[in-house]
Amino acid sequence: MTTTTRHTGSKFRRRVAGALALGTALLSAGALYTVFAPQPQTATAQDDSRLVVQGQQVFDNHCISCHGANLQGVTDRGPSLIGVGSAATYFQVSSGRMPLARQEAQAERKHPLADLDPKTEEGARNIDALAAFVQANGGGPTVPAEHGEALRGEDPARGGQLFRLNCASCHNFTGRGGALSSGKFAPTLDPASEEQIYTAMLSGPQNMPRFSDRQLSPEEKKDIIAYVMSVTDGNNDPGGNGLGGIGPVSEGLIAWLVGMGAMVGFTVWLGAKA
Amino acid sequence: MSSDTTRRPTDAELEDMTPDELATLAAELDDVVVVQNSPKFPIPGTRAEKRAERSVAAWFILATLAGLAFVVAFLFWPHEYVAPGKPGYRMYTLYTPVIGATFGLCLVAMGSGIISYVKKFFPNEISIQQRHDGASDDLARRTVLAQLSRAGKDTGIARRSLIIRSVGLAGAVLGLGGGVLALGGLVRNPWKGGDRAALWVTAWGSENGEKVYLRRDNGMSGEDIVKNKVDLRVRPEDMDAAAMETVFPFRMADLQDPKKLDESLHMSDVPVMLIRLRPGEKVIQRAGRETFHFGDFYAYSKVCTHLGCPTSLYEAQTNRILCPCHQSQFLATEYAKPVFGPATRSLPQLPITVDEEGYFVARGDFDEPVGPGFWERKS
Repeated sequence: MTTTTRHTGSKFRRRVAGALALGTALLSAGALYTVFAPQPQTATAQDDSRLVVQGQQVFDNHCISCHGANLQGVTDRGPSLIGVGSAATYFQVSSGRMPLARQEAQAERKHPLADLDPKTEEGARNIDALAAFVQANGGGPTVPAEHGEALRGEDPARGGQLFRLNCASCHNFTGRGGALSSGKFAPTLDPASEEQIYTAMLSGPQNMPRFSDRQLSPEEKKDIIAYVMSVTDGNNDPGGNGLGGIGPVSEGLIAWLVGMGAMVGFTVWLGAKA
Repeated sequence: MSSDTTRRPTDAELEDMTPDELATLAAELDDVVVVQNSPKFPIPGTRAEKRAERSVAAWFILATLAGLAFVVAFLFWPHEYVAPGKPGYRMYTLYTPVIGATFGLCLVAMGSGIISYVKKFFPNEISIQQRHDGASDDLARRTVLAQLSRAGKDTGIARRSLIIRSVGLAGAVLGLGGGVLALGGLVRNPWKGGDRAALWVTAWGSENGEKVYLRRDNGMSGEDIVKNKVDLRVRPEDMDAAAMETVFPFRMADLQDPKKLDESLHMSDVPVMLIRLRPGEKVIQRAGRETFHFGDFYAYSKVCTHLGCPTSLYEAQTNRILCPCHQSQFLATEYAKPVFGPATRSLPQLPITVDEEGYFVARGDFDEPVGPGFWERKS
């Protein structure tokens, strides 16, 4: 009896142990898989079909005449939007560049339409929906998950170095912007928000080159944003006035004309009173 | 000369003179006549005088206070960088204005105090000084000349030719030394090294067959790169279509010496724009350079062929490369030939390929000198 029970008992134990071992092995294999399985390189469309449907409505209202019913683009009006991604959509629409007012050398920043204003709740939702719709049609670079202050990196000094190497040739070293060929220009970065700078780097609007996350890592992009935010829009003008932020030319001019002029005038005044 | 008109006092008379009389004598010796001299405050100790005294002192006290404020601000005002929006940003931005304003106020108050003192307390004086223009009189000129020629004769310098020659030689060598000192540093031989002179070649060329990779600059110093084992070599998949990246030469051996890593970033002739065109762009290759590109990747020198500015304004849609200095424009889809502006030669193209590990490598140096033209250039 005892032997039988022991026998059956050990058999039972073996079975339980075997099942446990198999379970553990399967679980750890699954865990290992989830840890090591490569993330898909292609951006996946947001699975929020309602958002996409709403985005299609926004698209039909504002974008369809130039970009076509299937985002394929319309000759002489607008390019195809297949593959531009939500980053490009967010940048162009939130900065008011799209919808375009008229065809010219390049789309200029303007106050966004009322229902596409990222500062209003409705506008932000519409932009999100539109971005999701464009993202769902061909993928592409996506809007970063973080927003606002969270997109400013810890090291604006390194950001400044990267900015001067990659961005300053067109946008000037304090983000004043500058001229390009045939009426095009690199815009000033004063009004740009953190999200807009980030999505612009990712998507390369108009004639700007694109900076993928493998060329400038997200951390480097954030450092660049921290730098831009610290020098634009009247920041970092220890003298009180940036004098256009274009460097030694304007500073030298003011120093010589105003400074030296004042000193000469003062001297003349002193002599005249004596 | 002035002694002609003024009688010189004897030593005994000088001994007896008061300091006042001595000062008057000094003016007389210089042919100065004081016509009028009245003190600003004839009666000492009036309230007006006291007030004037106080107002002058007030300037100097202000200068003292401003100077002290400058010292305190310079030592204790928070001057470490604070990013906008962070606590303490306002105080940090005031650092430069505060030390400038306090030091400036100190200087201005000091100057104003001195001027105010002069205006308030210097006596009202009108003096007349005679002018003494023209050459010395005939007597003085003749005697001096005679004196000099006799001195020369007395020392017998005319007869001692050895001394004359040796001093001449020493003077000439001294002058030569000065000239070498001034100009020597400016003389460089650009042709040192013959065919491999600095003007002909760049660091992209490989001397001993070692692979020359294309690396990016991520703002890290060479030491940090070695310490953190950062890989800065560029791979084709790093760049999206319509992208541009500035790349520099890199050899694996550079990792032994962090200084070398920094050096290659600072050489003036090595920066290269690695451009990835959008797929499907029609590209015209230059004869003899058909194999220089790798797929959609083209590598052009970043140094303008006009005057050597960095031509890194790449327009991703028009595929133009702009030079910001004089608006030269180069077409990236046509072997970077100039299409606008003063530049006359296309940007040199670096032959690139991808090695077996998937990294970009240079297949050799540029096939022409980089940058602006010079006389010895053949093209």
